[in-house]
Amino acid sequence: MTDTAAPIQARAGGTGWLEGKLAWIALGLVGLLLPLLDDSYIGVIAQRAYIYWVLGAGLNLVVGYAGQIAIGWVSMLTLGAYTTAALAAGNVGEPWHPYLALVAGGVMGAVFGVVVGLPALRLRTFYFAMTTLGFATIVTQVALAWKSVTGGGVGTPGPVFPWPFDPGWGFYYFCFFLAAIATWMTANIASSRFGRGLIAIRDAEVAAEASGVAKPKLLMMVFLLAGALGGVAGGLFSSLQSYITPDAFTFEMSVLFFIGILIGGRGSILGPALGTLLLTVLPEFAAPLVQWSTFLYAALLLLIVLVIPGGIADLIDYKNRRPLEQHREIAPRPELLPRLLDERRDGEVLSLKGIELSFGGVRAIAGIDLEIRPGEVHGLIGPNGSGKTTTLNVISGYYAPQKGEVRLGTAMLPPGAPHLRAPHRIARTFQTPRLIGAASVLENVMVGGTIDGQGSFAESLLTLPRHRRDEIQLREAAMLALAVVGLESLAGVRADRLQHSELRFVEIARALMLRPACLMLDEPAAGLSAEEIRRLGALIKAVSRAGTAVLLVEHHADLIFDICDRVTVLNLGKVLAAGTPAEIRSHREVVSAYLGA
Amino acid sequence: MFQSIVSYGLAVGAVYALIGITYNVMFSASRVFSFTAGMLGMLGGVLGALFINTLGMNAVLAFVLVLACGAALGIVTEILTVRPVLKSVEQHLYVLSTLAFALMIQQVVAIEYGTEAYPFPVLIPIDADSIWGVVDQKFWLPVLACAVTIAGLEFLYRKTLIGRAFLAIAEDSYAARALGLPETRLRMASFALAGVIGALAGFTGAQMLLAFIGNQAILNFYGFVPVALGGMGSNRGAVIGGLALGLFQQAANFLVGGIFAAVAVFAVFIVVLLLRPEGLAGAATARRV
Amino acid sequence: MLIKRRLVLSGSAAGAVSLATGLSAPAIAQSEPIKIGYLPALTGPSSSTGVGINRGVQLGVEEINNKGGVNGRKLELISRDTQSDPTKAVNAVAELTQRQKVAMIFGPVNSGEALAATPLIARDKVPMLHPCWVDELIDVKKYPMAFRIAPTNTQIGGGANHYVVDVLKLKKIAVVSDTTGYGTASVNTYVPMLKAKGAEVVYQNHVDAANPDLKPELLRMQSAGAQVIMPWSVNAGFLSRICNTRGAMGWDVPIVGQTTLGSGQTKALLEKPEYWNKVYSNNFRQVCYVNGKLLPKAAEYVERLKKAKVEFSDTLLWWVALGWDSVMMMAETFKTAGTKAEDVVGYMNKVKGWPGIYGTVTWTPEQHNGFPDSEVVMCEVNSLKDGAFNIAPGYSS
Repeated sequence: MTDTAAPIQARAGGTGWLEGKLAWIALGLVGLLLPLLDDSYIGVIAQRAYIYWVLGAGLNLVVGYAGQIAIGWVSMLTLGAYTTAALAAGNVGEPWHPYLALVAGGVMGAVFGVVVGLPALRLRTFYFAMTTLGFATIVTQVALAWKSVTGGGVGTPGPVFPWPFDPGWGFYYFCFFLAAIATWMTANIASSRFGRGLIAIRDAEVAAEASGVAKPKLLMMVFLLAGALGGVAGGLFSSLQSYITPDAFTFEMSVLFFIGILIGGRGSILGPALGTLLLTVLPEFAAPLVQWSTFLYAALLLLIVLVIPGGIADLIDYKNRRPLEQHREIAPRPELLPRLLDERRDGEVLSLKGIELSFGGVRAIAGIDLEIRPGEVHGLIGPNGSGKTTTLNVISGYYAPQKGEVRLGTAMLPPGAPHLRAPHRIARTFQTPRLIGAASVLENVMVGGTIDGQGSFAESLLTLPRHRRDEIQLREAAMLALAVVGLESLAGVRADRLQHSELRFVEIARALMLRPACLMLDEPAAGLSAEEIRRLGALIKAVSRAGTAVLLVEHHADLIFDICDRVTVLNLGKVLAAGTPAEIRSHREVVSAYLGA
Repeated sequence: MFQSIVSYGLAVGAVYALIGITYNVMFSASRVFSFTAGMLGMLGGVLGALFINTLGMNAVLAFVLVLACGAALGIVTEILTVRPVLKSVEQHLYVLSTLAFALMIQQVVAIEYGTEAYPFPVLIPIDADSIWGVVDQKFWLPVLACAVTIAGLEFLYRKTLIGRAFLAIAEDSYAARALGLPETRLRMASFALAGVIGALAGFTGAQMLLAFIGNQAILNFYGFVPVALGGMGSNRGAVIGGLALGLFQQAANFLVGGIFAAVAVFAVFIVVLLLRPEGLAGAATARRV
Repeated sequence: MLIKRRLVLSGSAAGAVSLATGLSAPAIAQSEPIKIGYLPALTGPSSSTGVGINRGVQLGVEEINNKGGVNGRKLELISRDTQSDPTKAVNAVAELTQRQKVAMIFGPVNSGEALAATPLIARDKVPMLHPCWVDELIDVKKYPMAFRIAPTNTQIGGGANHYVVDVLKLKKIAVVSDTTGYGTASVNTYVPMLKAKGAEVVYQNHVDAANPDLKPELLRMQSAGAQVIMPWSVNAGFLSRICNTRGAMGWDVPIVGQTTLGSGQTKALLEKPEYWNKVYSNNFRQVCYVNGKLLPKAAEYVERLKKAKVEFSDTLLWWVALGWDSVMMMAETFKTAGTKAEDVVGYMNKVKGWPGIYGTVTWTPEQHNGFPDSEVVMCEVNSLKDGAFNIAPGYSS
């Protein structure tokens, strides 16, 4: 261990880069060279596929990444198509230049993307699905009724883009490049801290909040982007169709977009792109089946959901089917901690005063005072239902106590606002590990550093320097954190392939990404072997000695008494005893009620 | 005009309410909202017309058969689309699986039966001059069906053992299983019951709404509105919400007419949900960490 | 209903199979078949018209090929079911014009798909024959190769307006439509035409066809003093509800409107058969009964159809005749002018008084709408027999 940095870079880049890009390079080459076939029928089908993918790429972030069930996203296509067509045709004032009208279509899509997305912040999944469906219906109805602008049922002609993207292969390349740009931009987002935040919201919302992912703001940005892409797709669509009427925007089309993404696989860009391509092209080759196409799409969806929830992306992800080493060992290296936590900070005390919390008639916490000091490990023990995890949840802001306050140093922590804990550098792990199974271990850990990113959403969209710097820093920090917990060799592996004990250490690595002032661990030793518990203990102790206040909820009495500087015993939502391990060990009531010795 | 608003509004509201109850019965048993609710309503009408008009069955036999088909479809829904994804309810895969299933059935109906609206026979031969004929049966049938259903459900839930088992499952399925209740069988029974109620809604409402494939989407949405307004799982809320929706919609039809009625209903739906996501009568549920 | 639909479907599937076998033959040699692109809507919503026309088309092609084809070349029908979906129509147009290099395209039937397909077909310089009524489809400047073998919506509305104002002498009129493209466009065109004829439009509205209760609308018409209802919709459910509501209200005004008023679908949805009295729909003089008899030409055609065992109980004579006429027109054009686009257009520009079963067609270089105004008439909807109707009372025969 001469140079501690050396092992950290391993496996993060390397051959994986080319493997990931190869499919895109192939797709791009096919797209660029397709005009050589000189078959404009194929050209039209390809244009359609590109246009659908411009919308699909954005929708993919909403559905595949954020997990929002936006079934009626065809409404963005409708809005974009009518905006572009109506402006270019001069139905509203002077005719606009077609390219300008296309931009306006994108803006319109962006605005309504946010409007439609708003309910997603408050409504449960099924409600949101219904809302998008309802909105799609309303948009079509308005298109029918607003005759002066949309032409009503007779519709309105779509724009013809002038040189260089005039109809034919010019327009083909226009669609191709826009699809490529949409792919590039959404891939940038997907691989940024925003993309990881989205997946975290989808699969581990609680952990996302604890890591400081600001769900409302993030979702709004994504709805804005997806709406804009949908609007641009609509503008292109109106030109491809040459003439748009409300009956072109069917529910079946909406289902096609949606199913294309799910067939492709959630949390992938390549998969949904292939899925959309497949669904656009397939009916052309299966003419006799045309009337059954919606049935087949639905059947495919059912099959995907029930049999391969990972979709195409899972099928082509051969990398994650390579067997993992069987007898892996977790070998934490606490000596790297100072590098991760950089400087020794003047820690602050986390204090709870007079916390009371009841659910309905049940008093879960009946007045608890607690003080957790930096540089110390504070054990919290007690029988099941004594309020240990509930106390943790009050500190994390998941529960708002009816009485009492939580402070870090002098700052009051707002009750019931979990995503505001990370900025105070309060990190935690969960009783059952809350990880994103479909993401790699490294990505999971990087989620923990979300709030340290400097670049904006727009910067990530275009991979501007600040975004790249963020990514490099987050990646380095995450590799370091993984090295600290001894899992750097698994950085590229999907988290759901890990063993239970490894997941616990990944969660600790994620929490360490915050460089926590206070670290709360909820039964981290559960399910670990004796040797692993010993290593865990050493790690926890090292973390605290680096200046962190550690709150440890645990059932393993040995671990508690080995590493804790202070122990608080809860019973029935009250503090039964508090003191040094030695004091607790000899506390008569504790011994009889809990330790049972 | 007033009479027309009331008779029609109540009738169509009763259909919405029954579809809302269909959603609820499935939801209580499984914590799952299923897109098959509207499908059941659509099939109630289509199968009824198929049995009576095309196959020439007698109305009573057709009625029983339609309800049986509804029950069977409910069970298939449970086995095929709900049970496999139940262990990961928080991933909301049920939205996708039930949507897929509903779409498949809808497509089969579209291809095998047709996409037009077909007539539904008059079920009860009554003289227009008799007491029962004062108000057209197409208006009072759905209202009667709704009243019978809600009374039946109240009786089931309050007075019978199996009904209490249903309630126990709805309250806390984990605890219910721990008590030794056959959770899976009860859930299947609930879906069968929901199938019967959905088919009943479609069958009794079909003289008004016709045997029409387009009813699936309409009932899916308008049947869900009462659930959203009345609070999920609350059958009384669904009935009140459904009738209110029917009257509101019909009044809007009269007063502003045309497509603005649809826009008005949608606007109310969104505003209410944004202000009170748990519904007008519902209570916020505690989150689980 | 079920059984017939199945027949139609299996028929179209068989057609698709036979198409697939002849996919990649380049049409160079003189003995090669002449390819006709055909864009029907055989499945999906509003497919009954397409199904009817298709029977005429299939029969026409079959008869011509049985007689040895056109100048020794068989007709090859390359059909793509659009399901009335404009996106499918656009894809199909690209395939027919670019890959199949068809000599002419017939279709599509419905407005949305026809509006989208026409500019694209014009761009690829393929002649086309329209069965669709939407006025905008014919424009000799923009689409110099497009011809219409059917009436325009203006002619259809004009025929109905003429009957109401000039024959029935009614002046206070209610005009209603559903919210589809066809419906809204019709109302927007016909109301000014009525006003120009000096009639008073006392009610005018678009109503969602899914709305099951039309009583509010009819009450508004009644209180506005309407003497006649003119509904414009191709939705049988919507039209039947207008008839039912009028009947239930006991309101004795005529209903005058689109051909679907007389369809079997509409009839099946009536609550009482007598609600179909005093309902008059568009039809075409050449395929109507006048004094209980068809014109000799039409009568002979019906005999031929019966011999060919063409299903008639669920379709209309004019649909089948329109499909048939279109094939005959194209065959005759190819026979005289060959299959080069310019020659085809040159020939069609000079067609004059061509005696079809469905209509007498005349085109000029300036006017590609070929159907004569005088042959658009109204008929009594409750007189359906063998797919045809009695001409409405009041016309001079």
